[in-house]
Amino acid sequence: MQWNSVPSRKLWREAEAARTRSTLGWEGGQGKLAGAGVSSGIAWMCAGLIGLALVLLFTGKALALTKCLICHGKSTLSRMLTSGRAQSLFVDEKQLKQSVHAARACTDCHSDITAIPHKAEIMRVSCVRCHFKGNPVGAPQTDIYVEYAKSVHGVAAASGDTKAPVCQDCHGNHNIRAPKDAASQMNKAHIPETCGRCHLAVFSDYRESVHWQAFASGKKDSAVCTDCHGEHTIQSHESPESSTYLSRVPETCSRCHASVAVVGKYGIKTEQVATYGRSFHGIAIKFGGKTVANCASCHGVHDIRPSNDPKSAVYVDNIPKTCGKCHTGANVNYAKGRIHVDPTKKDAGLVYWVSLFFKWLTISVMVGLSAHIGMDLFRRFRRRGSAG
Amino acid sequence: MDPERNAGQGERLGDLGLRDSLRYELEDEIRQAIEAELREVLDQELRERVVARLRAELVEELQARIARVRAELETEILARAEPAPPPREFERFSWNFRTQHWVLLVSCLTLIVTGLPLKFHEARLSQFFFDLVGGVGTSTLIHRIGAVGLMAVGGYHLFYLVAFREGRRNFLKLLPVPQDILDFFQMVRYFLGWTEEKPRFGRFSYVEKFDYWAVYWGMVIMIGSGLILWFLETSLQFLPKFAADIAREAHSDEGLLATLAIIIWHFYNVHLNPEHFPMNRTFLTGRISEEEMRHHHPLEYEELMAARAFRPPAPARLPATEQLAADPSLPPPGKPAS
Repeated sequence: MQWNSVPSRKLWREAEAARTRSTLGWEGGQGKLAGAGVSSGIAWMCAGLIGLALVLLFTGKALALTKCLICHGKSTLSRMLTSGRAQSLFVDEKQLKQSVHAARACTDCHSDITAIPHKAEIMRVSCVRCHFKGNPVGAPQTDIYVEYAKSVHGVAAASGDTKAPVCQDCHGNHNIRAPKDAASQMNKAHIPETCGRCHLAVFSDYRESVHWQAFASGKKDSAVCTDCHGEHTIQSHESPESSTYLSRVPETCSRCHASVAVVGKYGIKTEQVATYGRSFHGIAIKFGGKTVANCASCHGVHDIRPSNDPKSAVYVDNIPKTCGKCHTGANVNYAKGRIHVDPTKKDAGLVYWVSLFFKWLTISVMVGLSAHIGMDLFRRFRRRGSAG
Repeated sequence: MDPERNAGQGERLGDLGLRDSLRYELEDEIRQAIEAELREVLDQELRERVVARLRAELVEELQARIARVRAELETEILARAEPAPPPREFERFSWNFRTQHWVLLVSCLTLIVTGLPLKFHEARLSQFFFDLVGGVGTSTLIHRIGAVGLMAVGGYHLFYLVAFREGRRNFLKLLPVPQDILDFFQMVRYFLGWTEEKPRFGRFSYVEKFDYWAVYWGMVIMIGSGLILWFLETSLQFLPKFAADIAREAHSDEGLLATLAIIIWHFYNVHLNPEHFPMNRTFLTGRISEEEMRHHHPLEYEELMAARAFRPPAPARLPATEQLAADPSLPPPGKPAS
């Protein structure tokens, strides 16, 4: 990412200003050739130019790629960055040919390259040149960059953070493929690696988690980074708008864990969301509590493990320590009894019986008292009726 | 002897026939006194005339006074034959008792208002409530203030039952007795029109006893479970987690039961029934009208009336003597004219 230095940006902007979006492709090059032929007969020249333009249109790309690959086709081509790291400048033709941009020319994206050899610093590619709503070149119609601009990545990139990812950092550059393509680095299976290129520690935690283990074992519903954090809308977990903000975690987890259609088929209980919602933790967090536990407080964040894993934060032996994060002096008593307790279910044990007792006590007492009131009213109105 | 006192005492004994003999006796005494005084001064004839004049005046005055005293005595005797007219109101709840009720009332309402939104957290009204008070933290604090009030009044009530004569007496009358069961069945028969005879209650009917003892049940459950939840970290040093779950379940369920009992049962029986609608003022004033007393607590009423009837009449209620004494037209009693 070091190549995106400030002077090259300026150049890129100048180059951008000199071109309009409609003059994509090789028409720029064609313009130069047309300029040479103006001195001949206008009509013939026009016809010749159109013919030439058509020829160039179909052969130019191939020509250009071939031209570019003269240098960039060499797998050893690289340069030294100011940071001391070597940057490979190799472009794998095979990879490019399989990407969604197979039909595009190099300069469609690298629009600031107008001459070979290019001397100036080459600008980072701007995907928005084509990827906007109403684009005429056949790129997907999307305004998703607007959402990206509000995301933690977009805001950081706009503020000049050279480490913040832009489109191609996640979606890929020469190897860009549709996300549903298994080879795409935006394919669900590759998202953890893609995010992990920057978020390395999180990635190593996540690799251990039940979510990744399940995904790797073929349970394709299991969560990868974007399922919890979002994609283009991704926010810091400290932002109240984030799906990973402390009070929104239950809602985020419940998108899968409350759905029988998603987790039910793997034998995972869905009532854990409801029992959490009925717990004091769940109620308090719903009404603005900032110091109560959400799902992640107990189960962990990236390294969520099944409760029967001794390394899990909710493994029975680890419960005192986990509860002790908030409840000072938590001991083994915290592990005596179900955590996600549903008083209406028999497996809640004594709690179920207490709940049942109070249910019938309330019903019978209220029926009795209401009957007494009803009879009282009956008598009073009957007496009044017979008197009148 | 003082003639007026003699006359008065004679009449007060109820012997109106003594009047004439008394009069003659008085007349003789007066004549003797006057004669002794005027013997030397006046001649026989003049003396006779003065005496005759005085005698006529005295007779006239005595007759008027005797008539008055007789009328007073007659009303008094009549009044004594019947029980004394009862006051129009009775004090049912003392200031002490009413204050306890106020603290209980305010605490319970606070606890209900801040507690139910937690139980019915899915209701829209709960969301509104928490928005109103500014989050679950504030409502928790208010709930605990209410809890302190409830525990304080509970503790004070136990002290009151032991330390105050009134408390001990009320407590004994609040103890359930077999008659309460009979009263209940009698009441049901009355409700259904099988009998026209209502059960005759004492100071506390079975309904009131039920309310009173239901509060004990509620207090034990709510305070017990509430303290476990309030001091959860301390409780869990000794109790397993499922005990806290039970405490929470019991707290939640009993809270609802108590709320329903108060709002439906207690409010209906005290305030909302057609007789008292919309409000019975006894919890404010502590007073109950004679009619209500006779109607709802006939046994207590009779007991009170019987106690009053046996009480000797207070002297202030017999004004005859004082009125006689205060009459300026007569010489003061105990000072015979000499």
